[in-house]
Amino acid sequence: MERLKQQYRELLEQYLASQDEKVLYFAQQFSRKFIEQEVAPEDLVHLHKDAISTLFPEAPEAFKLSYDFLIEMMIHYGLALREHQSMIKKREELQMEIEIAANMQDTLIKTTLPVMEELDIGYVSEPAKKMSGDYIYFTPHSDRKVSVAVADVIGKGIPAALCMSTIKFGMDSLSEEQSSPHDVLSIINRLVEKSIDDSMFISMYYGMYDESTSIFTYGSAGHEPALLYRAATDSFHYLESKGLLLGVKQDVQYEEQQVKLEAGDFIAIMTDGVTEIRTSEGFLDEAIIQSYLRQWKDESAQQMSDQLYHALAQLQDFKLHDDFTVAILKKRTEGLSVGE
Amino acid sequence: MELNIERVEEEGRTVFYVAGEIDAYTAPKMKEALERVTPLEEADIVIDLTDVSYMDSTGLGVFVGFYKSVDAAEGSVKIVGTNRRLHRLFEITGLDEIIDVERIGGGE
Amino acid sequence: MNERSSVSIYTEWDVVAARQLGRDEAKAVGFGTVDQARITTAISELARNIYLYAGTGEIEIERLHDGKRTGLKIIASDDGPGIQDVRRVMEDGFTTSGGLGAGMPGVQRLVDEFKIETEIGKGTKITAVKWLR
Repeated sequence: MERLKQQYRELLEQYLASQDEKVLYFAQQFSRKFIEQEVAPEDLVHLHKDAISTLFPEAPEAFKLSYDFLIEMMIHYGLALREHQSMIKKREELQMEIEIAANMQDTLIKTTLPVMEELDIGYVSEPAKKMSGDYIYFTPHSDRKVSVAVADVIGKGIPAALCMSTIKFGMDSLSEEQSSPHDVLSIINRLVEKSIDDSMFISMYYGMYDESTSIFTYGSAGHEPALLYRAATDSFHYLESKGLLLGVKQDVQYEEQQVKLEAGDFIAIMTDGVTEIRTSEGFLDEAIIQSYLRQWKDESAQQMSDQLYHALAQLQDFKLHDDFTVAILKKRTEGLSVGE
Repeated sequence: MELNIERVEEEGRTVFYVAGEIDAYTAPKMKEALERVTPLEEADIVIDLTDVSYMDSTGLGVFVGFYKSVDAAEGSVKIVGTNRRLHRLFEITGLDEIIDVERIGGGE
Repeated sequence: MNERSSVSIYTEWDVVAARQLGRDEAKAVGFGTVDQARITTAISELARNIYLYAGTGEIEIERLHDGKRTGLKIIASDDGPGIQDVRRVMEDGFTTSGGLGAGMPGVQRLVDEFKIETEIGKGTKITAVKWLR
């Protein structure tokens, strides 16, 4: 502190003598040293008062008193500064924790794309922030069956992400026999109703595809309908199924519907991060999604998903407002050839 | 994005006239206004959404949460004046089956 | 001279009296201008908290000598409602964001030692010590 005091006085003296810009430049560098050594603003004012008293011993008393007044004023600025620094540190710690939690979530919800002979499957699931409230899970079953679950926790961020792990554990606990949409949705509903907060709800779309019959059996718990593309007529249809959101009521019966896929047909299951996109010009017309999908209909299911994601992200200037999840199930025009 | 909520007591009913957009930013305001209704026992509440142009799932969550507490207290809530888009949201989520929702101009 | 002196807090003006006492004591013990200002600010915050949240209470100031060091001890006590969640009160940003002043973390930063004892429904006692460097 003594050294700083002397250096400060010397710099001040030089400036008073020359008003040289170079001295001010040194002063700027010097102020960094003060910050590094955590010199409080009130201490800096005190240094100044000392320097002035030494350089001008004849200065009027009122002059010196005015610095005491300034010191009082600066105490709160000093506290605000230190509080700010401590909060920045805390924020960094918090971000680190979120980062770790996000990594844990990635591991937790990791899903493997099953490779099927007849069905080509692809998906994209991107969180708007660090943690996602969307959930997508594929389960291969015996006898050429595969099921897909797409869920969306109402709400965003960390609470939604925590909530989502409930579904994951619920899905993992299902037995092989419990794979029809009707059973799965009512079991998960009971679990969600019991274990999550009253203000949180989940929508979920669940479907199972049977390669031996080409039939897709699906049900929805308050989730928006999936889109079906018919290659033969080059047209889109909604795969609607009535059912209440998960977690609202204890006992809910869920309908299930069936549709048979022909070669080249595909189903797109999405969350509202895809269909409820708002741009600066207003809502995105759902027809845009259909025209994109039609445009890429001959590509692989994964390429279709990736391209849809990129196109829609671009429309939002790459700032996602909601978690984005799309799954595409497409019946191949020819069986999976060896080596693919 | 703004949300205006007006609460009026009409013939023993509590009516909320809501105007604006209900999304993640304004939903807490909606929630707060609804939470001020006490007691919920035998409460008769109407939520008029005629002037609500947009609502996202966060807004929907607020109404579901409120419905659950009113229902538990054996009160009643009715939502009226939903535009086509809003009404669709209630339909998709299956909420129109448990909550009384009447679209603009009447009708279920 | 008394080793211990005190001011009772009933009105906002008593906050000023507590400040004055603190400043006189700090000066007498030999603190420099900046530390005088820090001690006074700490007392001011503590007294103001009593006035705002407990209604009435007391600020005591005691001179300390432990053989090697000299210092001041400030004791702020009240019979108010007590502090529900001390951890929260000690969090940065808790009171300042509400524009209530430097808050407890601020007071803690101004002194060398700081202790809160509180009991719900009975009151709060805050002890702060500043040593002469």
